Amino acid sequence: MATLLLDNVTKVYRPRGKAPVEAVKRVRLDVKDGEIVALLGSSGCGKTSMLRMIAGFEDVTEGAIKIDGKEIHRLPPAERDVAMAFEGYSLYPPLKVKENIGFALLRQRGAGTDIDARVKEIASLLEISDVLDRYPSVLSAGQQQRTSLARALIRRAPVSLLDEPMSQLEPQLRAILRARLKDYLIAHKMTTVFVTHDQTEAIALADRIAVMEKGELQQFGTPDEIKQSPNNLFVASFVGEPPMNIFAGEVIAARDGVALTGFGPDGKPAFALAAPGLELDASRSRKVHIGIRPHLIQTGTGASDATGRVITNHWLGDQSHICFDVGGATVVGVTDKPLAAKPGDALPVRFPLRAIHLFDPETGDALAHGLERTR
Amino acid sequence: MSGLVLSHISKGFKSGKVLQDVSLDVNAGEIVAIVGPSGTGKTVLLRIIAGLQEPDGGTVSIDGVDMTDAAPESRGIGMAFQNFALFPHFNAFDNIGSPLTARHIPAASLKEKVGVVAKLLKIDHVLGHAPRELSNGQKQRTALARALVAQPKVLLLDDPLRNVDAKLRYEMRLELPRLLRSYNAAVIYVTQDYKEAMALGDRIAVLRGGRIEQWAPPRDVYATPASVEVAKLFGDPTINLLPSTVEQGGIQILGRRVSAPDASGPVLAGLRPEHLTVSRIEIPDGIPCELDAVMPVNVRSVLYLRGPAGEEILATVGESEAVKFGRDHRQVWVDFAPEHVLLFDAATGARIGHQAH
Repeated sequence: MATLLLDNVTKVYRPRGKAPVEAVKRVRLDVKDGEIVALLGSSGCGKTSMLRMIAGFEDVTEGAIKIDGKEIHRLPPAERDVAMAFEGYSLYPPLKVKENIGFALLRQRGAGTDIDARVKEIASLLEISDVLDRYPSVLSAGQQQRTSLARALIRRAPVSLLDEPMSQLEPQLRAILRARLKDYLIAHKMTTVFVTHDQTEAIALADRIAVMEKGELQQFGTPDEIKQSPNNLFVASFVGEPPMNIFAGEVIAARDGVALTGFGPDGKPAFALAAPGLELDASRSRKVHIGIRPHLIQTGTGASDATGRVITNHWLGDQSHICFDVGGATVVGVTDKPLAAKPGDALPVRFPLRAIHLFDPETGDALAHGLERTR
Repeated sequence: MSGLVLSHISKGFKSGKVLQDVSLDVNAGEIVAIVGPSGTGKTVLLRIIAGLQEPDGGTVSIDGVDMTDAAPESRGIGMAFQNFALFPHFNAFDNIGSPLTARHIPAASLKEKVGVVAKLLKIDHVLGHAPRELSNGQKQRTALARALVAQPKVLLLDDPLRNVDAKLRYEMRLELPRLLRSYNAAVIYVTQDYKEAMALGDRIAVLRGGRIEQWAPPRDVYATPASVEVAKLFGDPTINLLPSTVEQGGIQILGRRVSAPDASGPVLAGLRPEHLTVSRIEIPDGIPCELDAVMPVNVRSVLYLRGPAGEEILATVGESEAVKFGRDHRQVWVDFAPEHVLLFDAATGARIGHQAH
């Protein structure tokens, strides 16, 4: 419903008697009208500070925040056209759940008669219809969180801010509520920024993800971009479950492209791969980190790059997670079929070149993704 | 037999029955995962095995010896908990060694035993650290090492990975089976995470309302759940459940007739998201559905669909397919194979055709 721009925003906390802390460092994010953006990172990465600056609960140290092109970062929170769902819920204890949810609409002109209908709609979407007449204190943590979320969503504000919106969700409800939430946000063209430490949630809900670490924006891209071409080792190892396999490695120029060697934890060569057609500055040998996405690894049949000795083979009902020892390196692969292999069995393992990412071992920056594509 | 046998354990408190007729056997070297919602009696069961609580009825035997009335310390049990429960004033070494020092084991032997288990758990470099100097992952490894160091016959692990981050949890999931097997203990592993249970458990006991609702290998629990509640506990996204009524030996699922010879009356038809296929172009006999949202997960994408009568359905498709579906509402066609339908009695929740153990 509105665009949102964080224009080189910096946040410095100056705790009394301690050194200043730069929590957010010159972050620039442009959120399109109706876009859903995730701020993803571990605790202390600055994501919540960013959300609180947009909401107006924290001052901006440097830079500007604009909604629909208009600077808002000096306005009081109530004048910013933002709705926020708090991680700590912040429900009004003396109000029933339905009053908590409807409260935000009371001062919204024109909402008048259909408040009840809208409360019912959002409550049913978030599976809290049966607790509408209760008080917050008797709700489970999950229900309180959904009430807080409902109170923010019902407003359909120009910008909605959601802080860890689904962290307390019961696992059986997670997928369906994510689905309904995403559908609701898209249907009402709601510009949304949400904070999460859960990469699965970020990927599932967001159009674009801003990956944060130590106050710095590591990458801002679609889930697909984040998965297919992570900017650096941090992003590569933060996103994905199971996480990307990462090995120390070496690239040597070959006649047609390069040859790759991956090392085990003991520093000895574990496997070798040829990457024909890859042009990489490797006139001499060059140290790299090799990343391989687990679910692109092929095993069981066919041509192989190496032999993997099975360490564990776990069938999870809809996918197998297989952990191999490949020449001393531990490799995790995922397949969507069960595989009849016991610990100790030897299986052919193939690393398709499109599964492989190379990173600079010193800076962590990505050097190449999906080596086939460069052909 | 060597290992742990629980027969007909029951336990009640003033507030009501907590455990009813629980029977389980865990062989030495086997891992049994106990899965169930919170408040279902899992912790009470562990306390009864450990000897911290007495059962009202039934017996606990270890390696063929009835231990129901034995003192906790004579049972040969190791335990680790989700909150680590380390002694804050001991360093990691002393924490790990505490079960042995209680038995007055010579210092040299103590040092060796702690060293071996610490190395296996990759914490040999932090043995001098106090718990507050350890990361959560290291704390959990220390707690596990302490549980293992005395080479217990029975190892009770109460959701030990609950409080470590996703990455470490995953690492431990790969590491634990080998580690536990090398100690040849009978292991009971309590968890609320069905993936952990399927990965680690040789067999799974699903505990609900104080009873064992299903007792089977992981594969069977997933493929042939005893009840609708078990089906909901195992699977992500959760199984689709569509209410229907049996008429003339068949039911309607999303407007399609599927035969149901053994069923009668109101049923719930369960279809796992991975058993639905979704097409962007019309397919013969495909069920027209509206696609409302696409949610990529790690390896796949979850599609949020509305069936012909507005039914909510989740389906999973491959990662590369998902991008093609786009962001806006659109029509798609859905198909499923009748053999993938799981039928549950709408009143009792029991799976139709399921044999109780």
